[in-house]
Amino acid sequence: MKKMFATTAALMMALSLVGCGNTASSEETTATTEEAVTEEAVAEETTTEEASTEEAASAESDLAYVQEKGTLVVGITDFAPMDYKDENGEWVGFDADMAKAFAESLGVTVEFVEIDWDNKIMELDGKTIDCVWNGMTLTDEVKSAMECSNAYCNNAQVVIVPADVADNYQDTESLAELTFAVEAGSAGEEQATALSLNFTPVKAQSDALMEVAAGTSDAAIIDSLMAAAMVGEGTGYADLTYTIGLNSEEYGVGFRKGSDLAAKLNEFFAASYADGTMMECAETYGVQAAVVEQ
Amino acid sequence: MELILEQLPIVIHALNIGFLQTLKLFFVTLIGAFPLGLIIAFGSMSRFKPLSYLTKVIVWIVRGTPLMIQLLIIYYFPGLVLGNPIWGGGETGRFLAASVSFILNYACYFSEIYRGGIQGVPVGQTEAGLVLGMTKTQIFFKVTLLQMIKRIVPPMSNEIITLVKDTSLARIIALQEIIWAGQAFMKGSQGISGAIWPLFFTAVYYLICNGILTLLLGRLEKKLNYFR
Repeated sequence: MKKMFATTAALMMALSLVGCGNTASSEETTATTEEAVTEEAVAEETTTEEASTEEAASAESDLAYVQEKGTLVVGITDFAPMDYKDENGEWVGFDADMAKAFAESLGVTVEFVEIDWDNKIMELDGKTIDCVWNGMTLTDEVKSAMECSNAYCNNAQVVIVPADVADNYQDTESLAELTFAVEAGSAGEEQATALSLNFTPVKAQSDALMEVAAGTSDAAIIDSLMAAAMVGEGTGYADLTYTIGLNSEEYGVGFRKGSDLAAKLNEFFAASYADGTMMECAETYGVQAAVVEQ
Repeated sequence: MELILEQLPIVIHALNIGFLQTLKLFFVTLIGAFPLGLIIAFGSMSRFKPLSYLTKVIVWIVRGTPLMIQLLIIYYFPGLVLGNPIWGGGETGRFLAASVSFILNYACYFSEIYRGGIQGVPVGQTEAGLVLGMTKTQIFFKVTLLQMIKRIVPPMSNEIITLVKDTSLARIIALQEIIWAGQAFMKGSQGISGAIWPLFFTAVYYLICNGILTLLLGRLEKKLNYFR
């Protein structure tokens, strides 16, 4: 009996190995066919039907890749007023609505996927998403790792402190005595590093707020758009407030490095800014003051 | 307090959806890992040395690396390294990738428990079976397996309870289980933002679930008590 099981196990493992081998070799075949197709094209031979399908399937153009599969997968986090769910569970927001319109202009459907913000570059490069469109600050890191669109929205990093001590911290010098919580890899962390503040990186901007509310950090640095929505009267953090803005920065949309979709989106932004649809959408979500002229 | 009462129905609804995902991952993992663990156990006990070494190396790798890394590798590597994102970006793909990682990981832990259980049955039992003229198959199913099951219940209970809590690791690949659902209210979701309590409230779900499991597994242990 034991032997039988052992043989089955051995067989399964062997089979899975064979499976791997097959995938690898079939990929190679595709690669060679693609090469062959390009060569043919260079030689200006008559393109057969087969060759043209092969060409469309090649990953040369990100636009072609997205149109081929028929969906634009947009990586987001739940981030009002840019991307959030309405009562019906539908994704709405300034970014979400613009993404829907952009996908429509490409002739594809849009699919929103919630991602872990730390893994956004991995998600893009691994092709599990096609773009990051979620009020993303255009930092040097982002620009070097992604193909970014033009800036479409202004933003700032602001300091969050408990409301009762807010008067003491109205300039950058006074911040030196505080301990900060900032989102790891965020523009807020960049500011904290630049000002050589005493800070702890946490997982999300919302975690940074919790640190301040719980008293484990004195202050936090987060996006002004988010601060406006999340702290002060009538929110869950009624005892917190925001004081000074540390910098001004811009939001952009990120695509895979080298993607031709970024240029396509710039065209789309320019067109929708010109015909007023972009402003109209911004007014729906109260971000019209922040929109950048295209 | 009033605010919490107002938020309660929305939060409970979201947490229920998240917990359903947690339970789904939990059961799929168990269903997959129970049999796979047995196969791996037989592999590592095999007298055919290459197979036994191969299995042991696999178990070493899976048990020796964090489950979080395994989740990241299984979900992202097909797209990153092979250029073919087999799982896709949607929720189903993320769930499948998480299931595969969890099944593989837990099967390796289970296999060692099975192995301990099988090897812990005294040789005398097998010998007695042989004396009675039973075949090896009969001895395994009627003598060894039964006693193995009784022996492995306590360590298996431990792993099963750990599994309930480990499912929260799947949020690293953005599987929206209960912790993810709880955290969503911190940054704002469905009109509630900056609410910390839903995250901590998720602990109640885990506690109740593990309470029920502890009772059920305790009862199973008692039932199997008829042989010492």
